[in-house]
Amino acid sequence: MRVYRDDQKFLNFRINVLLWANVIVFVFLAGSFWFVQGLQADKYRSLSEANALREIVMPAKRGLILDRNGKILADTQPSYSLSIDRVLLKTLVKNDANHKAKLFTFIGQILGMPLPEVQTRFDKGVVAGGMQPIPMAEDLSIEQVAMIQAQSISFPEINVDPVQRRNYPYASMASHIMGFIGEAGEKDLATRKDLKLGDLIGKRGVELMYDNYLRGKDGAQYWEYDSRGRRLGEYRPSRKEPVAGDNVYLTIDFELQRRAEQYFIENEFVGAAVALDPRNGEVLALVSSPAFNPNVFSKRFTPEIYRNIASNPFKIELNRVIQGLYSPGSVFKTVMAAAGLDAGAIGAGTSFDCGGSGTFFGRRFRCWQKNGHGAVNVERALKVSCDIFFYNTGGRLGVDKIAEYAKELSFGNITQIDLDGEKAGIVPSTDWAAKKQHRKWYPSETISVAIGQGPLIVTPLQVAVMMAAIANGGTVFRPHVVRTIEHVANDGSVSRLKVASQALRTLKMKPEVLEHVRNGLWKVVNEEGGTGGNARVSGLDISGKTGTVQVIAQSGWFSTAGLPFMQRDHAWFASYAKKDNPEMVVVVFVEHAGAHGGTDSAPLAKMLYEARFQDQVTNARLNLADPETLEQLKEGRLPQPGVAPKEPAQNDSGLGH
Amino acid sequence: MMSRRLLPTLDLNFLGTALVIASIGCMLIYSATYFGDPSLNIFRKQLLWMAIGLVLMAIFIAVDYHVLFDIAPILYGIGMVLLTYLLAYGKVKAHVKSWIQLPGGFQFQPSEFMKIFTALMLAKFFDSNERAYLNFRSFLVAMAIIGGPVLLIVMQPDFGTAATFAPLFGVAMFFGGIRWRYWVAALVIVAIALPIGWHLLHGYQKERIMIFLDRERDPLGSGYQVTQAKIAIGSGGIHGKGFKNGTQAKLEFLPARHTDFIFAVLGEEWGFIGVVIVLGLYLFFIVQSLTVAKHARDRGGTFLVISLICFFIFHILINVSMQIGVLPTTGIPLPLISYGGSSTMMFMMAVGLILNVDMRRFVNA
Repeated sequence: MRVYRDDQKFLNFRINVLLWANVIVFVFLAGSFWFVQGLQADKYRSLSEANALREIVMPAKRGLILDRNGKILADTQPSYSLSIDRVLLKTLVKNDANHKAKLFTFIGQILGMPLPEVQTRFDKGVVAGGMQPIPMAEDLSIEQVAMIQAQSISFPEINVDPVQRRNYPYASMASHIMGFIGEAGEKDLATRKDLKLGDLIGKRGVELMYDNYLRGKDGAQYWEYDSRGRRLGEYRPSRKEPVAGDNVYLTIDFELQRRAEQYFIENEFVGAAVALDPRNGEVLALVSSPAFNPNVFSKRFTPEIYRNIASNPFKIELNRVIQGLYSPGSVFKTVMAAAGLDAGAIGAGTSFDCGGSGTFFGRRFRCWQKNGHGAVNVERALKVSCDIFFYNTGGRLGVDKIAEYAKELSFGNITQIDLDGEKAGIVPSTDWAAKKQHRKWYPSETISVAIGQGPLIVTPLQVAVMMAAIANGGTVFRPHVVRTIEHVANDGSVSRLKVASQALRTLKMKPEVLEHVRNGLWKVVNEEGGTGGNARVSGLDISGKTGTVQVIAQSGWFSTAGLPFMQRDHAWFASYAKKDNPEMVVVVFVEHAGAHGGTDSAPLAKMLYEARFQDQVTNARLNLADPETLEQLKEGRLPQPGVAPKEPAQNDSGLGH
Repeated sequence: MMSRRLLPTLDLNFLGTALVIASIGCMLIYSATYFGDPSLNIFRKQLLWMAIGLVLMAIFIAVDYHVLFDIAPILYGIGMVLLTYLLAYGKVKAHVKSWIQLPGGFQFQPSEFMKIFTALMLAKFFDSNERAYLNFRSFLVAMAIIGGPVLLIVMQPDFGTAATFAPLFGVAMFFGGIRWRYWVAALVIVAIALPIGWHLLHGYQKERIMIFLDRERDPLGSGYQVTQAKIAIGSGGIHGKGFKNGTQAKLEFLPARHTDFIFAVLGEEWGFIGVVIVLGLYLFFIVQSLTVAKHARDRGGTFLVISLICFFIFHILINVSMQIGVLPTTGIPLPLISYGGSSTMMFMMAVGLILNVDMRRFVNA
């Protein structure tokens, strides 16, 4: 059967079919392009950049570390490092199979390094992958840089990159506070995505704790390469300017820190000292002796360096202020006095008779004073550091009550200072004996704890925080070493972030309790017969407590000064000034001093107070009878109390330090 | 030849669309080559091709297509002679003998011009065939008109160009009208021919088809082109990287960037917006052409326009699809945009012919 259709209708229908088929296909095509350009654009954009652009990192300048007055303690200095461009090397090796061997020989010559080590470094860098150059050496001398540049035509793949090396101009000074930096390890690289191989990051101290501020943000240049691997020039639109790290101002006072370190170095003491402001917890000086030189770590960190440090008999990497665990000795009597008075175990008038020794819980305990102190009340007990008084107090309180007060006053837990590796120490109690030691607590042990011996161990910083709380009327501040963080934007504008002081808790002690303790502590230094007379400075009401810690069990009364170093006594001096207006706490601890706390530790405290209150001391010694001095005072040319002199005072040599 | 009364009936919308597309093409060629070819030789040559193409276009507008139908057998015959000459004396270039050298270093591809001549020949044939359905004899004649040049081109062996004659087969069968038994016969023939054809294909051609079927097969080899084209297009995003700023094209990561893959340059530099604009222009161009086909004065005019626009559609769809790997990579240029003398001229002539049919749609003209 044949059907003839109207020809034109027939064609028009089919033309319309073609037309709509086209519309559909065009919409489909547009959709496909949307898929590639709209949805997958980011993926292809990075592929396109990977094609044409090679990233060259512009390292961010690490922030400065400065003391509270702006003295630079850590900066960065330019130095040169050597790396190999792996992309260029590949093409060169393709053209000349021997090129790699020639390159290694050349690098070995320049660095004075045997070939196998060159190979090892190269392999280590290659394994790290990516397009980044392979790091080979750091801290090239100018001669080495010149030698490499002379051969740049033969070895174009060798890069000499200017890098910024961390520099600590005062070497070991404040090293335990600042810590050090080093290359990011495998662990860091695995956990932190923003790091790449060869990045320098803080490893200890402020460098570690404030690394996020100090490190800044690396920038990058992008160099354009064509499909044949020719370098065309920098691709400016992609350039990312590096953001310099923030400057970190420490709470540390350079002068105090320097004097304190000097003291340890001159006397060859091993130990710790910390000065803090009891009004806000700012650490003014923090010394752990001996110290290390952090500049050593700024170079490529080798296992040998680490072994040298780890094998040092005096544990130079240990920050004794926060990591050193010691018996507090008589310094703990401060806590005992406050606890006894506050808990009602003793009153201000309670008096015990000291005959040089006494029997508690069936055991005989000695007072350090063989002949006894006679009748002593709490203030005098502190002044002469009478053991018998505190044995009695401890016996009345019991170990758990003592532990309660000790913990309130910062012992047995970290102080939360902004430094790494802080230790908590131990405050013994019946609970502690049962849980940690799986034994019963013996009441006689309480008697040892009462004079700061026994299982009780503390850090010097905890002692300082305790002293600060006693001095400031009962506020326990979180100690901190960083005062301000200063951000300098690329446009030069400066913004500052102040680290706020943080009161962790307030003691619920009656004001008169602290008053009695403070009176006792004042008498230690300022009354005849006190154990801390060595710290006395006229014009400054220094208050404090001495402590001597026996390292070996002693069966009699004798000095350990002549004994071998490791058997000598430790010496403590914990103090603050001024009595009614406390502005600084100083705790000094000398390991194996062999002498009484008042002998070896108190002089440093005295020195620091003199430095800190220089102007007050000056004022106290001003001869007001001299008309010229009076004139100067009226015109305001002499420094006012509490205001730092504009220039370092020239006349401080007469002040006895 | 062309009366003055005809000039006002020239469809300026259609001509304008074609010229805008051609101008975009010139800009893209400039952008794709200025960096690697600072003397702008390629760009200047394309301008020359455009100029020659415009002259040819003018001729193909001016001469009444009925006159062209009359001389179509002569043109078709010349084309067949040139293709035969190539097989006998042509030089092999890039695996094929498809170029005729002219004095002065110029060369041209007779197969491109043969597309126009074959379309004319086919339209002339349908002009005299008034039936809605082809009978067997006329079906064979139509197939022979198209098959002749295709056979000669396949022997060059330039499968890509031969394949561009496919739309003519489609036009003949779909618009010429064949009964269902011929469709079945055609399908059977194709089913038998495919494996034989596969066997005859050259290695590189097989490879191109295999890459299409399995795109991850050889990312650094033949798949490289599509990969780089997709990177170019995708990295352009919505707004594109801007004129002359496409790194894929500029730094020569994108192969055939001024010829087969010029659409990727568009995608990279002008982004999705540019892609949609150019696709829109093409669609507008196609819709207008099909309207011309509907309104043509006679069957010959209708078939001529349909044949020519099907060339455009085929080239556009194949070329644009291969940019993002929807279809395999072939050497099929993008009409009016890709660089190339013969193809530029061919498409300009085609534009002229469509305008020619449009102008003469009134019987009393």
